[in-house]
Amino acid sequence: MGTENETTEDLRRTDGIDLAQLRGGLFEASLVFATVVGIFALAVLFGYIAFDAFQPLTASARWYLLYFGTLVAPTAAYTLYVRRRPAARDVNAKAFGVFFGSLMLALVTYIVASALDPKDVFVYAIFGAVPPTLVFLYARISDDRTYTGPLVPVSIVGGLAAGGALFDVVRPIVGIAQEWVAYFGFVTLPVAGILGLVVARRYAAKSTAEVGVADDDWRTVMGRQAKYRGGLAFGAVVGSTLVVVVAALVNGIDPAFWVVIFSGFVVPVAYVVGQTVLDDADGRIGVAGPFVVVGGVLVGAIIERQFAIQGLESFLTPNLLLNSWDGLNASNAGVYPQIVGSIVIVAFMALLAFPVGIGAAIYLEEYAPASGWGGRLATLLEVNISNLAGVPSVVYGLLGLALFRNALGFGTGIVFSAAGTLGLLILPIVVVSTQEALRSVPDSLRQASFGMGASRWQTLRNVVLPEAVPGTLTGTILALARAIGETAPLVIIAVATTRYTPPEGLFSAATALPLQIFAARSSAHAEFRHGVVPAAAVVLLVLMLLMNATAIVIRNRYERRS
Amino acid sequence: MSNEPGDRKRSLQRNGFVVRKERFYGRLIAATAVLTILVTVGIILALSGRALTFWSAVSPIAFFTGTEWSPIINETYGVLPLLSGTLIVTVGSALIALPIGLGAAIYLSEYASNRARGVLKPALEILAGVPTVIYGYMALVYVTPLIDGVLPFSAQLVPPGVPVLPEFTFVMPSLRTFNALSASIVVGIMIIPMVSSISEDALSAVPDSLREAGYGLGSTKFDVSTKIVVPSATSGIVASYVLAISRAIGETMAVVMAMGMSPQMPYFPNVLRNLAESSQTMTAAMVQIASADSLGGVTYEAMFALGMTLFGITLIMNVLAELVRRRFRETYQ
Repeated sequence: MGTENETTEDLRRTDGIDLAQLRGGLFEASLVFATVVGIFALAVLFGYIAFDAFQPLTASARWYLLYFGTLVAPTAAYTLYVRRRPAARDVNAKAFGVFFGSLMLALVTYIVASALDPKDVFVYAIFGAVPPTLVFLYARISDDRTYTGPLVPVSIVGGLAAGGALFDVVRPIVGIAQEWVAYFGFVTLPVAGILGLVVARRYAAKSTAEVGVADDDWRTVMGRQAKYRGGLAFGAVVGSTLVVVVAALVNGIDPAFWVVIFSGFVVPVAYVVGQTVLDDADGRIGVAGPFVVVGGVLVGAIIERQFAIQGLESFLTPNLLLNSWDGLNASNAGVYPQIVGSIVIVAFMALLAFPVGIGAAIYLEEYAPASGWGGRLATLLEVNISNLAGVPSVVYGLLGLALFRNALGFGTGIVFSAAGTLGLLILPIVVVSTQEALRSVPDSLRQASFGMGASRWQTLRNVVLPEAVPGTLTGTILALARAIGETAPLVIIAVATTRYTPPEGLFSAATALPLQIFAARSSAHAEFRHGVVPAAAVVLLVLMLLMNATAIVIRNRYERRS
Repeated sequence: MSNEPGDRKRSLQRNGFVVRKERFYGRLIAATAVLTILVTVGIILALSGRALTFWSAVSPIAFFTGTEWSPIINETYGVLPLLSGTLIVTVGSALIALPIGLGAAIYLSEYASNRARGVLKPALEILAGVPTVIYGYMALVYVTPLIDGVLPFSAQLVPPGVPVLPEFTFVMPSLRTFNALSASIVVGIMIIPMVSSISEDALSAVPDSLREAGYGLGSTKFDVSTKIVVPSATSGIVASYVLAISRAIGETMAVVMAMGMSPQMPYFPNVLRNLAESSQTMTAAMVQIASADSLGGVTYEAMFALGMTLFGITLIMNVLAELVRRRFRETYQ
C-alpha cells in the first residue's frame, strides 16, 4: 500500500512552480499571437483605409443615431430573431444571395453592355443564342439525341461566326430600333425563358413527388400542365417588362436601364420571394432580410435629407463610381472607366482561360493514362502546372508583351491583350482547383456509370462534371478575384493607367482599377492620397470580397450537402 | 429468331458516330492540356529570345557582376544593386513571415479547436488574397509614417568603459519616404498564409500514432509539438519556406510602391540602414522600364534579361521545394 502511494507521488509534479506547465502555456500563447498578428495588422490597415475613405469624423452624432435607429438596430434584432430558426436562416441566406447577386449581375450586365454598345451585343446575342436554342428544341421533340450534344457548341461557334460575317448587314437593321429593344432581347427574353423552364420543372418534380407511382396518361396530362405553367411564367415576365417600358416611355424616361433592372433584378427576387412565401411556412420570415437592410438605408436617407442632418463627407460617393478621373479636383474624380475596364477585362479573361484550364484538369484527372507516353506527358503536365503557379506575375507580363504586341502585333493596352495576359496568369490556378474538385468525386460513381454502359464522355458529362461543379465554381471565382487585383502584368504590357472613357470593344484601349490606385499613390494632393485613393481601394476590395464571399458560400453549401 | 444473338451483339456495339465523338472529345481535352505546356514554352521563348539579344550587346559577366544599374541615364546594366534590393526585401519579409507562419501552422494543426480553425484559416487566407497594389499603398501611406513616429531609435548596448567589449550603440535611423522596412513588413504579411497553409498540411500529415507514443512516454503537449511533430514535418515546412521566399522574390507592386526606384548596393557594416533607405528590386526595375515612355533597344531588352533571371531563380526554388516535398510525401504514405 505504501509503495502504491509513492508511485502516484512520483507521477504528480509537486514543485512549487510548474516550469513545464508555464513553458507550455507561454508556447501556446505565442502560437496564438502568431496566428492572429497578421490578421490583426491587416485589420488595422484596413481600418486606416476605411477611415480615410469614409471620413467618419465628419458626420454629426445625430447622423449616427439616425442610422443606428433605422439600420443597425432593426437589422440586429432581425438577425437575432432569425438565427434561432434554422429554416428561416436558410431562407434568409437564399434571399440575400438572390437579392444582391441578381442586383450585381443586372448592374454589371448593364454597365458592360452600355460600354460596348448594346446593339452590337444584341446582334451577337441573336446569332450566338438562336441556333443552339433551335438545336435544343429539336432535341426535345426527336428521339435520337446522338447528334444534338456536339451540335450545340458547333452551332454557337457557327452562329457567332455568321454574326461576324453578316454584322455589317444586320447592324443597320438593329440600329433602327431603340436601345431598350436590344436590352429586352438579351436580358428579358433569356430571363423569361429560364424562369419558364424552372417553373415547369419545379411543377413536374413537385406533382410527381406528390403522386408517387404514375402511369403514362397521368404523365402526359402533367407534362401539358407543366408546359402551360412554364409558358405562363414566360408570358408574365415579358408582359410585365413591356408594362415597365410603356410606363417609362409615357413618363419620358429612357426605359433601357429600367428594363435591365426589372427583368434582371426585380423578376428573380419577386419569384424567389413569392415562391418562398407560398410554399415554405416555416422559413417565410427569412425573405425579409434584405428588405430590412435596404429599407433601413432608404428610410435613413429620406430622414437625413428632410431634416438636413450633417452626414458623412465620404469620398466614396456616386461621383467616384460614375465620373471619370479628374486629377485636380478630388470631389469630381471618379473611377467609372476603370471599374468598367476591370470588369470587361476579367469577364473576357474568364471566357479565354476557363475552358482551357478546366479542359486541362479533366485531361489530367480523367483521361491521362498512368503509364507509357501518355503517362509521361501527364507527369510533365503536372510538374509544369505546379511550376507555372510559382512564376512571378511580372514574368507573365513579359509573356503577354512578347505574345500580343510583338508576335501578334496588337495595339498597346487593349482589352484583348490584358485579358489574354491575365488568362495565362490564372490558368494554373484554375487547373489546380478544378483538379481538386474532380478528385473529390468518388470513383464508385464513375464505375457505376461505366457499368451501366456509359462511355467515358457520357460518364464525364452526366456523372462527374455535375458533382464537381461547386468545387470548380469556387476555384474559378477565386481565380477571378485574384485577377481583378493583378497590376504588375498590366503595367508591363503597358496598359494605360488613366483613361477617360470605358473600353468600347475587345480591341479598344482600357484601363483597370488597380492601375489607377498605382498611378495616384503619391499624388501631391492630400485629398487624393488620403481620400480618393483609399475610396478606390475600398471599391476594389469590395469587388474582390464579394467574389470571395460567393466562393465561400458555394463551398459551404456544398460541404454541408455532401 | 436465328439472328437474335447477332442483334444483341450489334446493340452492344456503339454507334460509329458515338465512337468518333468520343475520340474527338478526348483529343479536344488533350489539346487543352497541351496548351498549358505551350504557356511554359512561350515564356521561355519570349524571355530567352530578347534576353539573348541583350546579352549579346551587354556581356553576361558585366551584367551579373556590375555594381551600377542605371539603364535609362547612363546605360549601365549591372544587376547586383537590384539583386541586393531583392535580397533585402526577401530577408526582411522572411524574418517576419517564416516564424509567424510556422507558429500559426502549429497552432492550427495541434492546438486549435475545430471552431477556431474554421474561423482562423479563412481569415489567414485573406492575407494572401488582398491585391498587392493595396498592400503597396498601405505600406507607403500608413506603415511608413506609423513606424517613423518612433524613429530614429538608438540604444547604447555596450556602454563605454566595459573591458574587452568595444563600445556599441544600436542605431535605427529614421525612414525615407520610400524604404525597404515597410515593404518588407507588408510582403511578410502577404506571404504568411503561404507558410502557414503548406506547413499545416505537413504537420497534419504526421500520423497520430507518433503523437500518442509521445504522450504515452509522459511528454507534455509542448514536447510533442516541438520535439516530435515539427521535426517529423521538417521537409514540408522547408518546402513551404522555399515557396514563400520565392513568392517574396517575385513580388512586384508592393515593393515598387513602398520601396522606390533607386538602386543601391547594400550598406556595410551598418546593416539596419538598408532597411531605412530606398532601394530597387529586380521586379521594380522591370516596372520602371515598362512604364518609361518609348524606350527602344538595349534598355527594353534589359527588361527581358531581368525577367529571365527572375524566372530562373524562382524556377530553381520551385523545383527545390517540389523535391523536398516529394521526400516528405514518401515518408508517410
